[in-house]
This record gives sequence, C-alpha cells and structure tokens, in this order.
Amino acid sequence: MSLHTASHTASAADATLSTRDWAIAAAAAIVSLIALYAVFLDQGTLVSATGSYLHEFAHDGRHLFGAPCH
Amino acid sequence: MSTPLIPLLGRGVVAGAAAGLAAGLFSLFAAEPLMDRAIREEEARAAKEHAHEHAAATAQHHEELFSRSTQHFGLVVTAVVAGIALGVFFALAYALIHRRTPLANPWPRALVLAAAAFLAVALLPALRYPANPPGVGDSATVTDRQEMWLGAVAIGVLGLLLAWQVAVKLAERPVPVRHTAVAVTVVAVLAVLFLLPDNPDAVPVEATLLWDFRVLSIGTQALLWAVFGAVFGALGLRAASRPATAAEPRRETATA
Repeated sequence: MSLHTASHTASAADATLSTRDWAIAAAAAIVSLIALYAVFLDQGTLVSATGSYLHEFAHDGRHLFGAPCH
Repeated sequence: MSTPLIPLLGRGVVAGAAAGLAAGLFSLFAAEPLMDRAIREEEARAAKEHAHEHAAATAQHHEELFSRSTQHFGLVVTAVVAGIALGVFFALAYALIHRRTPLANPWPRALVLAAAAFLAVALLPALRYPANPPGVGDSATVTDRQEMWLGAVAIGVLGLLLAWQVAVKLAERPVPVRHTAVAVTVVAVLAVLFLLPDNPDAVPVEATLLWDFRVLSIGTQALLWAVFGAVFGALGLRAASRPATAAEPRRETATA
C-alpha cells in the first residue's frame, strides 16, 4: 500500500493544518533545536561563567553520539 | 477541532524520554568504561609530552569543571534530553505523513520512520565522521568539525528524503526500475557525503579501543531509535484502539 493511493482516503479537513497547529509545531521545533544545540554544539555560548559548563556536563554524551568535542 | 498534533507530540516526548533513558543507561554500563580508559590514556600521553617538552602541550582535559562521575550522570541526562528533542522532530515528521493517511497502522509506520531516522541522523553521518572517544579532538578545529558534522547530518536527512521521493515518484514503474533508481540515489548521496572534507584531527588512540567505541556509539544510537520506534508505535496503537476523541495522558508517564 503506497502513500499515493492511501492519501485518497483522507478527508480534505485532515489534509490542512490550522494556524494553531503551525504555531505549536514551530514552537516545539525551536525548543527542540535549542535543546539539541545545548547538548551537542554549545561551546560556552549558553552557560559559560568560567568555562563551558554545558559542554563539560554533556561531554561523554557528545563523544558517544558522534558530536564534535574539543 | 481535533488536532492530531498535540497527541503526536506527546507520544514523541514520551518515546524520546524512554529511548534516551534506555540509550543512556546502556552506554553508562557499556561505553563509560571505554571512555574512562580513553581519558586515562589521554592523560598518560599528555604527561609524557609534558615531560618531554615542558611546553604548553595543551592537554585537553586539563582543567576539569566536573568530576568523571558527574560526567557519567551527564551522559544519561544528555541522552534523555537528546531523545526528547529528537522525538519532537520525529513527531512533527510523523504528523506530516499522518495527516495524509491517518488510518494507517501506527506500529509499522513508527518502526519504519524510526529506522529511517536512525539511517539519516546516526548511521550516514557516522560513516563520514565516526565517533571518537575522549582524548581525540583539537579545540582549534572544533568549529570546522561542527560545520562538517552538521553538513553530514543534513546530507543524511535530505538524502533519505530524496531516496524516499524517488521511490514514491516511481511507484507505478516496474519494481526493478524503482529499486535501481533508489539504489543509484543512495550511492549518489554517499558520494556527496564523502565529498565533505576529512576530519582534520589526529586519532592517537589504540585501534581496538577506537573500534569498540565506534561500535558502541552506533549501537547506542540504534538502541535509541529502536526503543523510540517501539514506544511511539505502541502509544499509537493504544490511541487507535480508543474512541476517536480520546486524548491520552502523556506527561504523567513521561516523568515516571
């Protein structure tokens, strides 16, 4: 069963996203991007009183998930 | 106005937290011994260099902000945060497909999409830039390496979407034609991936340690996406077996 043929069964109402849905989707995407940046990319931009706290805290996870580390 | 988006996002968050926790705990026991060993070897290397030159042979794990046990804990937290954030993106992608075909069985769909996500954001980038244990990584090149890595992830995601679209567009054609076209697309994506510049850093790590670490890195991410797909699919089945209006209690189970 391809997406092609099955899509005919969906009603038109289901195929349109409301403005509210778009707003929710955008907000969720932005928050998630910030979270991913914080754990995988931050080099002291977000929290860096005396160094890169986030980087060091997420250090092992960055290495393990293949994110570039110092 | 029944929006399918909120319950889907809820499933993404719950499945992401569960998958991140599973991956974090697995790597806590499986990968941390390797990372601790890599750091001890790095320190030994740095001490040796230090004795030789006495100069600022920048030992990268010099000033420690956190103890190793805090960093062990940080690994699990990182995995959970990453799992939830990836789960949100997964839910958004799922919602785009779901709104066209809302009646499809959520279990195979979640598993197939999770496998696709693993390929796009974990396996393909790892083929070009395999994970390195602590002790590898020059702080002078980290910005370049981040751009390269993000490029590899972008190529992985776009390449997978492209291969999928090729398969969809050729749905009416004979199966061998379709499969060949998809295979050619995959090879082209791999070629583009390998056009990216090489990782500039030296890897002064023992080969078996490096191999084990890279296998565990891929294994951890495979586990993450497997658990994610299973939980997301199971939540979808549960929601589908209820009356249409049911909104599942999401957050409560997430924190448990």
